[in-house]
Amino acid sequence: MPSSSNRREFLVQVGAAAVGAALGSPTLARATEPQAERPRPRVVIGRDETIARGEPSEHAEPIRKLLDAAMQRLTGASDAAAAWRTFFQPANRVGIKVNTLGYSTHPVVVDAVVAGLRAADVPAENILIWDRFDSELVRARFRLNKSTTGVRCFGTDADRVGRGYLKEVETSGRIGSCFSRIVAEEVDTLICVPILKDHNLAGVSLGMKNFYGAIHNPNKYHDHNCDPYVADVVSHRYIAPKWRLTVVDAVRGQYHAGPGRSPEYFWPFGGLVVGADFVAVDAVAADVLEAKRRDAGLPALAEENRPCRHITTAGARGLGEADLKRIERIEV
Amino acid sequence: MDSLENIFLQPTRRDVLRLGVACGAAGLLCGRGVAAAQDTAGAGALEGLRLPGVVRHEARHWRSLPDRKVRCVLCPRVCEVADVERGYCGVRENVGGQYQTLVYGALCSANVDPIEKKPLFHYQPGTTAFSVATAGCNIECRFCQNWQISQFRPEQVPSVEVSPQRLVDSCKAAGSPTIAYTYSEPVIFYEYMYDTAMLARQQGVGSVMISNGYILEKPMRELCRALTAVKIDLKAFTESFYVEQCAGQLKPVLNTLEVLKDVGIWFELVILIIPTLNDSADEIRRMSEWVVKHLGPDVPMHFTRYHPTYRLTNLPRTPVSTLERCRRVALDAGVRYAYLGNVPMHKGENTYCHKCGTELIHRVGMQTTDNRLRDGKCPKCGTAIPGVWSQAQALSVTSRPADV
Repeated sequence: MPSSSNRREFLVQVGAAAVGAALGSPTLARATEPQAERPRPRVVIGRDETIARGEPSEHAEPIRKLLDAAMQRLTGASDAAAAWRTFFQPANRVGIKVNTLGYSTHPVVVDAVVAGLRAADVPAENILIWDRFDSELVRARFRLNKSTTGVRCFGTDADRVGRGYLKEVETSGRIGSCFSRIVAEEVDTLICVPILKDHNLAGVSLGMKNFYGAIHNPNKYHDHNCDPYVADVVSHRYIAPKWRLTVVDAVRGQYHAGPGRSPEYFWPFGGLVVGADFVAVDAVAADVLEAKRRDAGLPALAEENRPCRHITTAGARGLGEADLKRIERIEV
Repeated sequence: MDSLENIFLQPTRRDVLRLGVACGAAGLLCGRGVAAAQDTAGAGALEGLRLPGVVRHEARHWRSLPDRKVRCVLCPRVCEVADVERGYCGVRENVGGQYQTLVYGALCSANVDPIEKKPLFHYQPGTTAFSVATAGCNIECRFCQNWQISQFRPEQVPSVEVSPQRLVDSCKAAGSPTIAYTYSEPVIFYEYMYDTAMLARQQGVGSVMISNGYILEKPMRELCRALTAVKIDLKAFTESFYVEQCAGQLKPVLNTLEVLKDVGIWFELVILIIPTLNDSADEIRRMSEWVVKHLGPDVPMHFTRYHPTYRLTNLPRTPVSTLERCRRVALDAGVRYAYLGNVPMHKGENTYCHKCGTELIHRVGMQTTDNRLRDGKCPKCGTAIPGVWSQAQALSVTSRPADV
């Protein structure tokens, strides 16, 4: 008889596999389908000119509508709530991993994600917006909530509620790290909401790279364009099996000089990049960023010795689809 | 275990005002600092004087790059660090194109140790070293004994802020002639070590760096102006070991050893012998021959015993017989002083005259129990024994060469 925690993990993974099979997420469907028969994963790029103007925080409603529309195209569901229910159940404890290091995820995009979860009847108390530090969340204009009511928001370092990192180092591929207790123990389902931005070593910092914020020692894993370390981190049992959805905040991207905030390289893309296959989403978003760099007359990332190796490696490992030709790219 | 704070002289009122109240970040790892470095007092025992987050101090040895990036030129990693990012060590951060150290005086471990524990066997035997560390390291050994401080970032390890003067005063009050920068990797708290060692030297206190030697030549030479001795961990004698087991490289460490030799500062070597990974007689012979050829026969080599820990737990403890063989190989290669470490009561812990074989210093564990040296010479044959045998000798070289 499995222990209760094992049984819970089993049920989570069974549910995840079912969702993954339905949406062409190889990571989640791996147990049930041979790789050769995998459907092409779908990645939706939602764009709306209105949200590209002014400050992102001014466009809460258009962003929410855009995300819902993208979710419907992603899932084929007849309405937005049904689309969100494809991935999330009321019993889920959902962690929304944002990026608050340097140029940060806009809270207004996370608000839209929360609205979608609420539409799927996930209780507010089951939703946790998190990153490494309270201080970085505050700097990125998230409102901390460490109470037991409402959507919670705090860092791994948060006194009492964050509880720091697991004390034992865990090995995954070449990394050896202590994982955040949030990702290890607090949540059973993950949504990653990175921002579309350049990274001086990894090429881009999108969904997968964002999970460097789940380990205690990311500084150790930036050599060789962060590869294969990014794939090592996300393939860990605390992350890949729990990861249901990526929503890249592309309302206003940064195509150079990341990951710090460099307004001179901002570009009003006015969009969101959404998908269940986290490798495919990163591959498409990186392609969008590369296209912008070409338009701006900048060299390709590879020419600056920072190719997105980590996306290729994740694809080669079967964590998802990295080949753009094998990704169904939909624009709405 | 003493509270970390209790080991220092009481802070001044200004210190207290700076430290303020306990901070949440310091509690991040919930007591990790208590057992941080083995046999040291950790800051986890401290309640009320923890650092409020990290301290920030201008770093040295870096260059500006375009787009607010910087190039760190302290250690051989020469990290390119973008704005808001940190170097590999995790304790040096780019803030808007300015490089800062986050561990200046942020001590997470402190203890008064026998100098033999460092180990330095030819440096004022029988004295103590006031030993301190901050969080962080610029390599990652899979067998690190102090990984709970060396492999964490400063905000993840409870620490207290101790100014250079307060550390020197505390050392003197403890009756220690020497400050040891140790436990984690002092290269990564270079600025604090340098300033403290300079101050200490002016006030008659020595400074020893217990290091992996993973540092570039210019900062190493500059640092030697202030230090009085160095111990280097020579992890192995193959590049593959350094790459696979330490995320580092051998060549820069060998370069550091040659710099130390050139500068003329006293230094000793420690080689942690790990079964099947770096324990072959051939490797030890090649290493020893290199030492004799490039550093001279007087540099002591300590072959110490590995215990499973951190990420390398699938190998047994090093057999004593293996250590004995390593010592024999080194002696046969011409090394005059080869020791065993982590093997209490073994005769390989003692110092013998390289000329006549007389036992000069008897040790039990990390304690010197009998020192028969007379003015640094063998009492039987009168041979001068290499080393630093007095504080006056340690501090006698007041201006070491710093040219690169």
